[in-house]
Amino acid sequence: MTALAAASHPRRPAGFAVRLSNPALLLLPAALFLGFIYLLPVVDLFRISVSGPTWSTFFERVFSVPLYWDALVRTMQISLTVATLCLLLGYPTALLIRRTSGIARILVTAGVLLPYFIAILIRTYAWMVLLGRNGPVNKLLTGLGLLGEPAQFLFNRGTVLLGMTAVLLPIMVLSIYSSVSRLDVALPRAAQASGAGPIATFWRILLPLTLPGMGAGFLLVFVAALGFFITPTLLGGPGDQMFAMHIVQQADFIGSEGFLQALAVVLLIITLLFVALAGHFLGFSFIWGGGQLAEGQPRPATAHEAVPTPQRRLLAGVADRVGWPALRLLSRLNPAWGRWTVILLGGAVIATLILPILVVMVISFSSASYLTFPPPGLSLRWYEKFFSDPNWMEAFWKSSVIAATSAIISVTLGASAAMGIVRSEIRGKSIIMLLLVSPVIVPPVVLGLSLYSLFLRFDLVGTIWGLASAHAIGGIPLVVIIVSAALQGVDRRLEQAAALHGAPPLTVFRTVTLPAIAPGLAAAAFFAFLHSFDELVLSLFLSSAQLKTLPLMLWADINYQLNPVLAVVSSLEVLLVVIGLALAGPVLARTRAGA
Amino acid sequence: MATELASRAMPAAQVGQPGAARAEGSIGSGIVMREVVKNYGAFRAADRISLDIRPGEFITLLGPSGSGKTTLLNLLAGFQKLDGGEMHVDNAPIDHVPTHRRGFGMVFQSYALFPNMTVTQNVAFPLRMAGVDRESAQRRVGETLEMMRLSEHAAKTPSQMSGGQQQRVAIARAIVRRPKIVLMDEPLSALDRRLRESIQIEIRALHRTIGSTILFVTHDQGEALTMSDRIAVMDAGRIVQIGTPTDIYRHPQNRFVASFVGESNLIEAEIVQRRGATMALRNRAGYVFEADAGHGIEVGRAAVLVRPERIAIAGSPGPNTMPVTVTSALFLGEVLRIEARTESGETLLIRCMDTAGRSLPDVGERLHVSWGAADCWVLS
Repeated sequence: MTALAAASHPRRPAGFAVRLSNPALLLLPAALFLGFIYLLPVVDLFRISVSGPTWSTFFERVFSVPLYWDALVRTMQISLTVATLCLLLGYPTALLIRRTSGIARILVTAGVLLPYFIAILIRTYAWMVLLGRNGPVNKLLTGLGLLGEPAQFLFNRGTVLLGMTAVLLPIMVLSIYSSVSRLDVALPRAAQASGAGPIATFWRILLPLTLPGMGAGFLLVFVAALGFFITPTLLGGPGDQMFAMHIVQQADFIGSEGFLQALAVVLLIITLLFVALAGHFLGFSFIWGGGQLAEGQPRPATAHEAVPTPQRRLLAGVADRVGWPALRLLSRLNPAWGRWTVILLGGAVIATLILPILVVMVISFSSASYLTFPPPGLSLRWYEKFFSDPNWMEAFWKSSVIAATSAIISVTLGASAAMGIVRSEIRGKSIIMLLLVSPVIVPPVVLGLSLYSLFLRFDLVGTIWGLASAHAIGGIPLVVIIVSAALQGVDRRLEQAAALHGAPPLTVFRTVTLPAIAPGLAAAAFFAFLHSFDELVLSLFLSSAQLKTLPLMLWADINYQLNPVLAVVSSLEVLLVVIGLALAGPVLARTRAGA
Repeated sequence: MATELASRAMPAAQVGQPGAARAEGSIGSGIVMREVVKNYGAFRAADRISLDIRPGEFITLLGPSGSGKTTLLNLLAGFQKLDGGEMHVDNAPIDHVPTHRRGFGMVFQSYALFPNMTVTQNVAFPLRMAGVDRESAQRRVGETLEMMRLSEHAAKTPSQMSGGQQQRVAIARAIVRRPKIVLMDEPLSALDRRLRESIQIEIRALHRTIGSTILFVTHDQGEALTMSDRIAVMDAGRIVQIGTPTDIYRHPQNRFVASFVGESNLIEAEIVQRRGATMALRNRAGYVFEADAGHGIEVGRAAVLVRPERIAIAGSPGPNTMPVTVTSALFLGEVLRIEARTESGETLLIRCMDTAGRSLPDVGERLHVSWGAADCWVLS
């Protein structure tokens, strides 16, 4: 609001009052907070990793011990496979969302969004239930006589890939959908009217135009997979150790100081390398999935009809002899084929995403004393057990308090930072935005490890404030992304009109800006809450025996015994997410439409 | 059948010289629609529409939004399936031919240029999909761009061009195959007025050159009158009248057409007497005037259409004049636009040319207006 005044007199030497009212100052609290609790520990991590006899001692060990080198290669392979699977399955799903309308679209969208917001831990647990010895898949196969006795589907590379793909698919679908939804609906029609069948339309129009969304989705999934810890730990066998799992295991050995940090630094650097590579081609805004913050410059003109170089001529020849004839041949396919491919593949994906969650919800009402599906009878006994068990209840309340505290920190700091970045004339907005949202790409294992020494030094381990602050590192990016999108949707002219009619800046904010971004703020608060409520990996590092959060209890129980109380907790989480989405749905729809 | 249709839509290298007269033999297709029905849930977007379009005709579907004109176009293009009735092109049913094998050209409201391709690639796309080899495609694209005066923009991408240029590229892409049928869905609605008028003339000239049947959808009655051989006026999923522009403008069949096409005065009157080719009517204020006897209305009440430009202003009261009071008077350049109230309280809209010696009347001034029997059109 004051940016207007500041902008109209850029050359006048600013007085103290003017400088104080510069919206860029709003970035300060978040910068200080993140600087202390996020950047400082990461820098410290690097320092410790090079603190050996020579700077490279620990790194040499990382790369010379086959155990770690193999895990690194394996992590790359798994991540690449998962990202590829997500791409192949996510594309038809994104097209399915675009193709449906009305109720069908709401259901399909919910089928993607719901899993997106449910904790990874719970979704992985759902897969364990689904594929377990007494799970529905085994029951079905033995019932049909395809299997003599229940088989062990879990704890191998296949289930790791399946679980990770299922967990990460929503990211891919949403990323592709955001670029698909921006396409003019007339474009595929124009291609059809020009004689292009479904495959030619896909190959020549849809694919090239959605390449950025695909690239962004691929990278987000790949980078997330690199640092994955929960799913491979629960679904994998001894041969499926991923790099992040080694870091957690090493953290239990006191003597591994330095080497431990070197492991984390290797993972972090590899992650950052891929992000940098992607950022180079896609622009870093792919991380927050959106606008260029009014700094975007139009892409330079491309001279397509340039001099016909030999390569160009070769390509043209290939296109003439193979490409176009193939497309024409495939255009003989009935368009119904394209439609059915999308419906069947997309439908299968949605079913795979939703099915485990449904099974878990059914099991939570089971009357059996162990996990089995279908339940022999229905009862509320596990709900009673959950609500009457003081350990679960305490964890539930602790988690709620931590999540609420974390949400307050995230919204306060994140929203003011969003204000500062959107409304100030500060230079380098993209870089500031990148720094603010960068915690989402740092593997949680690395973050947890780096925070641990800081927490020890300031005696924060096992405190509510400590955990809430740690969770806010991931909460702030969410808030910044949502609120800055909401702010960009506010018509500046409304604020200017209010100011013109005599409203002082604070009044303008209260009467015009705040009501306009209030839904965005509410959504941001909810997602920050949910982020903390679901957080496991940081808590593993930073909590104590006295401070058990709900995910920590779940984690302990999943590793110990799979009982239906876990299904109760999962069902309650699903309920929480459904309520949140129902409330935030309209807001999100508007945010996306405005972006 | 499908391939036959496609091949028919692709006359072998029948390219007229730029600006040449209509190419020999490349006349468009005839289209027949019978009892066409399309429902969106409970809403009937096309309600048993029947329409015959002659080969090479420029026909406009005119109507307000929601009248079903775009639905009809989408059905013909094959983007949507018929719920009833049939459509034939050159006497062959097209229901089961998918869009990409119908061989039509189409211009979209949003242009729908492929943003990932240059102008040349956009225009070449239909040719390449039709199996035209690179050299021939290049040549024909060049000729079409020349014809649309786009040659200098050939290497640009759509985002580097203005709206008017983009629209000309979209037209070039639609006609490059010399299709027998070109569909245009409100192609000019995103352009400003001057540009719109110049492209209207361009499209009209293009129609003469390529000879395709053109089905043009618009809600702009001026555009429809300017460009069409015939206009089909649509309302609520039906065609309410079809005819030449003069026919539609001068002899509307009902109040909807009369008020949707052009500005109109609808005067409520009672038929007093009928003598031969004319009839005498009396309006509510008691003034009696003559009108050409329309279609068989003998007695009772009628609405009489008098176009604003057919009303003459007389200096002084005469035998056949009606006194009115001016309520607003605007100088629009070549015409004066005057609103006046009759003694019975009806508002009359009058347009007269700005000729020498005529001054803009003051508000409140009393005028005497008149019109001839041939200036009226009696509606039921």
